[in-house]
Amino acid sequence: MTSKDKQPMRRNIRGGRPYFFADPATDKVLNMVVTLASEVWALRERVMAMEAIGAKRGAFKAGEVDAYEFPPALEQRMAGERQEFIANLFRVLGEQAEPKKTATAKKPAKKKKR
Amino acid sequence: MLELKHDLRLAKTRDEHARMNFVSGLRAYVLNDMATGMRASYDAEVEPAFRRKARRAPKDGPEVHQAIRSNEFFKFYSSLRVTAQDMVWQSVFPPLERQRESLKKKAKALATRRPGKLKLDAQLEVPRSVSALDVHLMPGNYDGEYESEDLAAGSLYDNGLAVFSFGLMGQNLDDIGESISRFIKARYPKFKPAEILDLGCTIGHNTGSWKDTYPSAHVRGIDVAAPCLRYAHARAQAQNRAVDFEQMNATALKYVDASFDVVFSSMFLHEVPRKDIAKVLAEAYRVLKPGGLMLHMELPPNAQLSPYDAFYLDWDSSYNNEPYYKPFRDLVPQRLCRQAGFKSTNYVQFVVPSIAWFGEQAVTRAVAAQGAVDSDKTGRLSDGLQWYCFGAWK
Ligand SMILES: C[S@@+](CC[C@H](N)C(=O)[O-])C[C@H]1O[C@@H](n2cnc3c(N)ncnc32)[C@H](O)[C@@H]1O
Repeated sequence: MTSKDKQPMRRNIRGGRPYFFADPATDKVLNMVVTLASEVWALRERVMAMEAIGAKRGAFKAGEVDAYEFPPALEQRMAGERQEFIANLFRVLGEQAEPKKTATAKKPAKKKKR
Repeated sequence: MLELKHDLRLAKTRDEHARMNFVSGLRAYVLNDMATGMRASYDAEVEPAFRRKARRAPKDGPEVHQAIRSNEFFKFYSSLRVTAQDMVWQSVFPPLERQRESLKKKAKALATRRPGKLKLDAQLEVPRSVSALDVHLMPGNYDGEYESEDLAAGSLYDNGLAVFSFGLMGQNLDDIGESISRFIKARYPKFKPAEILDLGCTIGHNTGSWKDTYPSAHVRGIDVAAPCLRYAHARAQAQNRAVDFEQMNATALKYVDASFDVVFSSMFLHEVPRKDIAKVLAEAYRVLKPGGLMLHMELPPNAQLSPYDAFYLDWDSSYNNEPYYKPFRDLVPQRLCRQAGFKSTNYVQFVVPSIAWFGEQAVTRAVAAQGAVDSDKTGRLSDGLQWYCFGAWK
């Protein structure tokens, strides 16, 4: 029963949105941060749901996740990934710190290995 | 976030649900906690700085607005409020887009169920104040249609309002209609309206409560937006409420003189241009029977608020695509009613406690003791809210 004339709903705001900071980029970044926070929250709810389902099915006991400690090898791997995660989070600041590359630069800047 | 209780509610994935919860929580935080913080920042910095310069306190909302604009707290509050407002609608689009087809089918099935009627007018010209604007940053506005027989805009509004209101508009989003109709019934026990009209009813969420309060009355809602009315009709059927919906412009009602005992509206006049407000009230007067009551639930007028509270409510006018909001709130309700033909002595205004917030007893208590309008709780979507309304007897 799809009607022939069906179109997707418009999702952008006619007339745009207002900005408050001296540079609208600040408002936009804040928007991104909040959108990200919303996704983080969605993940947390998902994890909570999985824990609850797991506990209900007897896969593990309630509270077991909170009490869990990683074995040393896993802990080490996680520590590495965590640092990578943090570096990635602030990557945009690193970009600013690097000298600007010009099109004529002969040697491409060496990629830093993390 | 609030779950809609009727059959037209959208099914959501775990993640979609979580995002809605997040936006609801964000709005509660911004409108309670951050609003309190902004007020504190105003009292501690903004107002004293204004006084030092002007040797007096700000005299009205616009002066407060001007003074607070450069304040950092104001910027974060405002920027986050806009973001949250946008996220309200964005959180609904994915599940809605996926279910448009099934929603239409459900509505069709529901339409045959109860005696409520729907009458659309394809010839009606939607006023530009609706057709040319995305009010409160809602993409597509009330009247946006994307296929024939479309009712998606109604679903966007219903599901969006559930996220937006963070529980403050009642379990069925009908707290305004419920609180006010119960108040009227308690305050005027001998008044038995048989014909009730709701202007600018959107999806009829507050229209239906009049039917609950006065079950034997014939209750009708009108609006210019067809997709919302289609949805309103189906929604009323889903809730087993016999209410009729008709597509009509409130500035030119198609009813004969003296047809109604109550002409009601809620959150409507502030979305109407000034020149049309006068027409709406004149029409309300015309279609009312002698002894009938006109009643508009609205944001309180600026003249009855402190400068800061006026600024606080006017925020929407400047930043939430509500261009008619401040102009309306600058008007004097008593004068509006008089100009529409009502006697000055027949003017009424009430501050009604929200049943959803205070419980049913509060309404009866309020009948005995009327609160003042000038409160930072009146008309503000935050903890402890109460509804303002004004009108007149014919
Ligand atoms: C904020 S909504 C009202 C919501 C609802 N009454 C409530 O209680 O929450 C405003 C509604 O007024 C409608 N509207 C705007 N101008 C109108 C007019 N001139 N005649 C009838 N309806 C109008 C819009 O389409 C929209 O549905």
